[in-house]
Amino acid sequence: MARYRPEPDRDSREWWERVGRREFAVQVCDACGTARFPARAFCARCRTEGAHWREVAPEGTVESWIVNHQPFVPGPREPYVVVMVRLAAVPGCFVYGNWRGRRPPEHGERVTASYTRVDADLTLVDWRPGP
Amino acid sequence: MTDVPKRLLAFSDLTAIAGVGYTPFTKNSGVSTLTLACRAVLAALEDAGLPVDQVDGLATHRVGDSAPPTLVGPALGLTDLAWHLDQFGGGSVSHAVVGQAALAVATGMAETVVCYRAVNARSEFRMGGTGRGVPVSPEVQYQAPYGYVAPPQQYAMYARAHMLKYGTKAEHFGQLAVTQRANAAKNPRALMRIPITLDDYLASRWIAEPFRLLDCCLETDGACAVVVTTAERARALRRPPVLVSAAAWGGGTTHLSGPGADPTVTAAAALAPRLYAQAGLGPDDIDVAELYDCFTYSVIVQLEDYGFCGKGEGGPYVASGATAAGGPLPVNTHGGFLSEGYVHGMNHIAEAVSQLRGDAGERQVPGAEVALSTAQPGYILPATSALILRRP
Repeated sequence: MARYRPEPDRDSREWWERVGRREFAVQVCDACGTARFPARAFCARCRTEGAHWREVAPEGTVESWIVNHQPFVPGPREPYVVVMVRLAAVPGCFVYGNWRGRRPPEHGERVTASYTRVDADLTLVDWRPGP
Repeated sequence: MTDVPKRLLAFSDLTAIAGVGYTPFTKNSGVSTLTLACRAVLAALEDAGLPVDQVDGLATHRVGDSAPPTLVGPALGLTDLAWHLDQFGGGSVSHAVVGQAALAVATGMAETVVCYRAVNARSEFRMGGTGRGVPVSPEVQYQAPYGYVAPPQQYAMYARAHMLKYGTKAEHFGQLAVTQRANAAKNPRALMRIPITLDDYLASRWIAEPFRLLDCCLETDGACAVVVTTAERARALRRPPVLVSAAAWGGGTTHLSGPGADPTVTAAAALAPRLYAQAGLGPDDIDVAELYDCFTYSVIVQLEDYGFCGKGEGGPYVASGATAAGGPLPVNTHGGFLSEGYVHGMNHIAEAVSQLRGDAGERQVPGAEVALSTAQPGYILPATSALILRRP
């Protein structure tokens, strides 16, 4: 199914490489230890450069979701669910993905990353219910 | 109250909007955005009673979808502009364009600036991925692969977060759509003038749940322009001047980041105190509000963040009839983007001007003296802007 492919940039390339290996890692500031997402050079808290990657639990809670019906982009024509997840490892940070549950999401429920291999060059992070 | 520097207080009421102009709103203009821009600029100058050669500034905003001042100026024979602005951005910056024009006029950098927005947003450049590429932002890579890229989807996500947190209901969104359509029925410019009911709203097809078709703004071809000059000069012109009492900018978090991000609070919540303090006014002083309504929910969240009701109470506030004609805070008296047309905010400013001049015809809010008009509150691009306008 044709769909938009992410275009990794100089900040995000390592994130996508790690996702390709089914690793869920975020940057942690070398100076103050604050975790951040998405990947970028500066820590928004202490405004310094320098960070290392840390594998974290690929978990969060459901903040919101939509059921898409209108075909805005290339890809699925059938209704599909996009979920907005409050990431457990990075306070105040949201990530998105398609929903891999057999039932609709519930507000505040715990979810875990579910890796979807699109093809040899692209793996995406989706979300499924449960720890 | 927020401290306001003296030089900012001096800016308040120094400039005025002296004229407004429109092209017709359609689904296919059949002409270029350059043509639309020229027509709206000339219409605004005609309204103000100013000859074209008096213009020494032009300003617009766009997302690669329209004619910049460097085309519009020469096209109108304006070959020596003292000041111009070609601001990147969509609805977040509509009001910032007029605010910056007011700053240019206040400092003497320019004397007469025409601000315009010209779009073929239905026939040529539709927002949200249909017929055009994905918007350029590094954060798109974390969303677009999931089929999540269009503003109706993003706003629907935030609308549901608000529903989950505060119990906001589909009927609240629906009541807003019904109310604005009733306003549009009294507006000869409006594209959608046939009244709708709550049942019509609920029966409209899903776009991205929780949004239905009638939660979403129109896609419109058209242009709108306003003339900004000094208050002193505006007083000598054809139309009653409308003073720029306050102009404010805001910023916030992105889709993905920002410690402690609460998706039910917009950048407008931080902007509002600055804006009100600059004008020396508060929410109770606002007689009419033209609020950015790309979707029903954007109005509801702004009613909260601009202090017209408590946080989480926007839905019940709309359902009470407060925002309808005759209510304590008439909102989007022209029908808004939902029913008049989508010109990215400039038509909200122009409607506020009409209300304050008292020439809004059948939809006139009696005795309107102070208006608030706002840009997209900062969900899509983490930026927003707003104006308080008043009658002298």
